[in-house]
Amino acid sequence: MAKSPQVTRRTAKKQSEIISLGTELCERMLADLERAKRPVLTATKCSLDNSLYNPKVGFLTPGSKKVSSELNVSSVKKMSRAIFMLEILLRNVEISNINTKRELYYVAKGLVKHESKLRPLDFQDQDESDSVIDFICEMMEAYREELNCVADDRGGQTYSKQLVVQETELDGNVSTIDLSTLGTAPYQPKNRPQNLVLSAREPIDFCLIIESQGTANTLVANGFTKRHKCILIGAQGVPSNAVRAWVRRIQEQLRVPLYFFGDLDAYTMQNIYRTLKAGSAASLIRNSDFCAPEVKFLGVLPEDIAKYDLVDYAVKESDLQEGRALKKARDALSNDPFFKDKKNKELKAILDWLVKNKRRCEQQSFISVDPRDPQMMEKIIIEKIKNGNYID
Amino acid sequence: MVKKAKKVVKKAVAEPDTSAAVMAKVRKSAKQITTSSTAEYFAKNLQQVGFSSPVKAVLTTVKEALDNSLDACEDAGILPEIKLYVEKLGPGTMKNTDQIRIMVEDNGPGIEPDDVAKVFGEYLASSKFGRGRCSRGQQGIGISAATTWAMQTTATGAQVVTKTKGARKAFRCVVDMDLKHNKGLLRDKSTIDWARPHGTSIEFKLDGRIQLNGEGGILNYIRSTVLLNPHMTLHYEISDVPAASIERVVNTVPVVPQATEPHPHTMKLGEFMSHARLFGRIKTSVWLKRGFSRVSDKTLNDLVTKKGLKKKVLDSFVDALPDADFKALFAAIQDVELLPPATTSVLSVGEDGLALSIRRLGDIDFFAVLSRKPVICDFKPVQVEVAIARLRERRGEDNEEQVQVLRFANRVPLQFDKAACAIVKALTSVNWRSYGLKQPRNALPLGPYIVAVSVVSPFIKFKNASKETIDASDELVEELRRALMQTGQRLSRYLSREHKADELEQRVQHIEQFGPILVDTLGRILGASEERKQLATAGLAKILEKDTKGMKKDLAAAEGRLASYLEEKKSRLAGFFEGLEQEDQASVVDSEAAAPTAKVSKGKR
Ligand SMILES: Nc1ncnc2c1ncn2[C@@H]1O[C@H](COP(=O)(O)OP(=O)(O)OP(=O)(O)O)[C@@H](O)[C@H]1O
Ligand SMILES: [Mg+2]
Repeated sequence: MAKSPQVTRRTAKKQSEIISLGTELCERMLADLERAKRPVLTATKCSLDNSLYNPKVGFLTPGSKKVSSELNVSSVKKMSRAIFMLEILLRNVEISNINTKRELYYVAKGLVKHESKLRPLDFQDQDESDSVIDFICEMMEAYREELNCVADDRGGQTYSKQLVVQETELDGNVSTIDLSTLGTAPYQPKNRPQNLVLSAREPIDFCLIIESQGTANTLVANGFTKRHKCILIGAQGVPSNAVRAWVRRIQEQLRVPLYFFGDLDAYTMQNIYRTLKAGSAASLIRNSDFCAPEVKFLGVLPEDIAKYDLVDYAVKESDLQEGRALKKARDALSNDPFFKDKKNKELKAILDWLVKNKRRCEQQSFISVDPRDPQMMEKIIIEKIKNGNYID
Repeated sequence: MVKKAKKVVKKAVAEPDTSAAVMAKVRKSAKQITTSSTAEYFAKNLQQVGFSSPVKAVLTTVKEALDNSLDACEDAGILPEIKLYVEKLGPGTMKNTDQIRIMVEDNGPGIEPDDVAKVFGEYLASSKFGRGRCSRGQQGIGISAATTWAMQTTATGAQVVTKTKGARKAFRCVVDMDLKHNKGLLRDKSTIDWARPHGTSIEFKLDGRIQLNGEGGILNYIRSTVLLNPHMTLHYEISDVPAASIERVVNTVPVVPQATEPHPHTMKLGEFMSHARLFGRIKTSVWLKRGFSRVSDKTLNDLVTKKGLKKKVLDSFVDALPDADFKALFAAIQDVELLPPATTSVLSVGEDGLALSIRRLGDIDFFAVLSRKPVICDFKPVQVEVAIARLRERRGEDNEEQVQVLRFANRVPLQFDKAACAIVKALTSVNWRSYGLKQPRNALPLGPYIVAVSVVSPFIKFKNASKETIDASDELVEELRRALMQTGQRLSRYLSREHKADELEQRVQHIEQFGPILVDTLGRILGASEERKQLATAGLAKILEKDTKGMKKDLAAAEGRLASYLEEKKSRLAGFFEGLEQEDQASVVDSEAAAPTAKVSKGKR
């Protein structure tokens, strides 16, 4: 059983905290204006060059860099929009209403439509309102979810014959979900993992996070969860906040080993896996709740290609997408503190190998080892776990 | 003031400007065959001289007639007043054509009745041969070609009425062409009363098609001709377009500078030898000194001492010089050091004339004009002039069309084959973005502008025989670029002022719109008192006022630069700027005295 590392983490902000944070901010601005002083809003700089990585902490944390925007002729529009959106969000928190970013875009549109005075604020498209929401979160150092703005709960479909989830709803109602009663249907985790309490009907051996949701589904259909006491999750590409927070919850509450199984390619290593394990630069202020540093990289490993004689293929630098992935990988090798830290030197070695050899091997290629055996992939996964054939 | 009508001479040998392939062919054939083949040659090759399509036939006829009228008036020191009619008579004989009547009437010196047949019915009859002057016509082909086209398509010749100064009656006739003998034949001769004291009217009926708009349209030709001839009054009636008159804005006739003798370094061997034949029996040394510019006694001495030319070549008669000696002489003189040709032979419209003329092109916002000093490019004197105007009527936020380019060679508009032209090459190579215009990479700039570029030189080199494309030599393109960049700088004074004013207005608008919203929202979230809100509103105004101050300073500086530029020009361009100037001053005052939230006038209306 893995030990939980010492993690410095902030506790999620309560509703009342959010409201007082918001009003404090407004109070500061109004007071500044009254004294004809320029209000300055400061936010943590969320970028790779302000990311720190401490192997004891296990995820990317913000450095000391701040971005501040000052009220002036050019920023008055942005600030007006931000305060306008803040009002909407604070009201939502107050009445426990939840909205997606898309919905907030329409809330704003609706308010402008009914109040001609507000017309100059009108958002032309959702990108504009999204960036205002992000700006507010950075200023308040709050999660979007704490402002009752949730993203689409993409990915994270979970299967298990042992897991039991207890959810406290916003109105205080508690419901218990026993995943073993769902048959082959998945459980869909939510963006607010704080409300979930996990327990196991019998000891769980491991949790497996699979990059491809489809592959996760196949394994379950073939009886994986019946044969193994485990939790099986489909990540569906770059893990969403829901997936990241959910896996974190599992790590913390169940203390089971976590394995990630995905493609061997630059994008998966540099983006998907890194984000799941250590968070991202864009979400520096909330990585503490939105990543699972104990996740191990099960593969596909470069050595697997030879060992299982897997079908792989060459990456073309000229391909727009693959070229971009390689470029980002090179960038990560020289700038990403996660890959630069010696704790992750084996992961870095894989990324190095990918950039140098420009090969790519997909998770599904394990099937090719014995195409007639529907359990081939399952067998290899279990074998790898048993033999410790993964990177910590 | 009116000079006597010029004597029209016919020359077997053409002027120094013989780069046109047509002329080369004509001269070559003229050696073996008789001159009569000349007319037949052109009759078969009309497409080479502008009659390559029904549309071009109409345009070329208008152009040749109008050019001749302007040339004749200029030569005689007359302020031209020209009437132009173009109308559709009915279907033409050829496919896709109409029968078109074209008439051009001028108040020029008139043509002696004896010369009428030559002028309209004979090729290579010209008073402008070999002068090395910047006249529009050069070769004695233009109007005869129009007569040929009319004969070929409608079997009617040119209907001519002409009256010279002092004559009591006008001479009227029809000129037909005898192509076999390159002769004009007159019929229906009569004398008539004519209200004009002197002048010429020429009328053709021919097959063609009227194209009004677009680059190759007649209206574009008129626009262009109007721009470069501020001294011209033009009345025109074209097809269904309502009749219009454009008055002259300058009351002096341009003085076409006296031609200088050709410069040896601008000649090819054949031209050099032909040139000799014009002089008859004189000593080679005398011919060189008299027949060329920049050839001195020192040059002759250098030829012998430095370039090893046999002294005896210089002493023999030039008409008896063997070809081998000619070649040796030519080689030596190409090699010897000579002063570049004088630039006094070029003629320009001038900044004043351009500035006055350009407003005849439409409702224009502002403009910039520039006349470069004459320079030597490729050993030929050249003068470049540029006029850029922004048209109010074509403005609109999203006018992303290419600017309209008007090209001129010796004041003759060039309307076809623009891509390879030196002018277009230069235009696309200039970075117009730095002057405030939009421009895609390596392309013409965009916007509601007219960009007129005129190249004047007694020796313009064209890319091909149809004379629509000026050869893009590096030196000429560089000179054009310089001219365009200078004009761009002048233009940028207007644009930067306007840009700054726009920006300021936008910001001021910003403050007006967002300030109250910001304070209101903050007040609502906090439940703040009216008093606090008022205080905050005042504070916000104070903060933002500081920001606009800097921008106002920038605007004032731009206004100032523009004002002093206009001041500098004002004395010369008095008329035009009266209206504009008041507006300018108003907006300068506006922005200085303006309250922080006052709208600043944009300086464009
Ligand atoms: N409207 C006119 N008034 C007076 N003289 C004219 C007029 N039109 C033509 N001429 C005379 O007739 C001559 C022949 O004209 P033409 O157009 O054939 O040749 P060009 O103008 O000399 O050269 P180009 O072939 O380049 O036009 C002119 O040189 C000029 O002397
Ligand atoms: Mg002519």
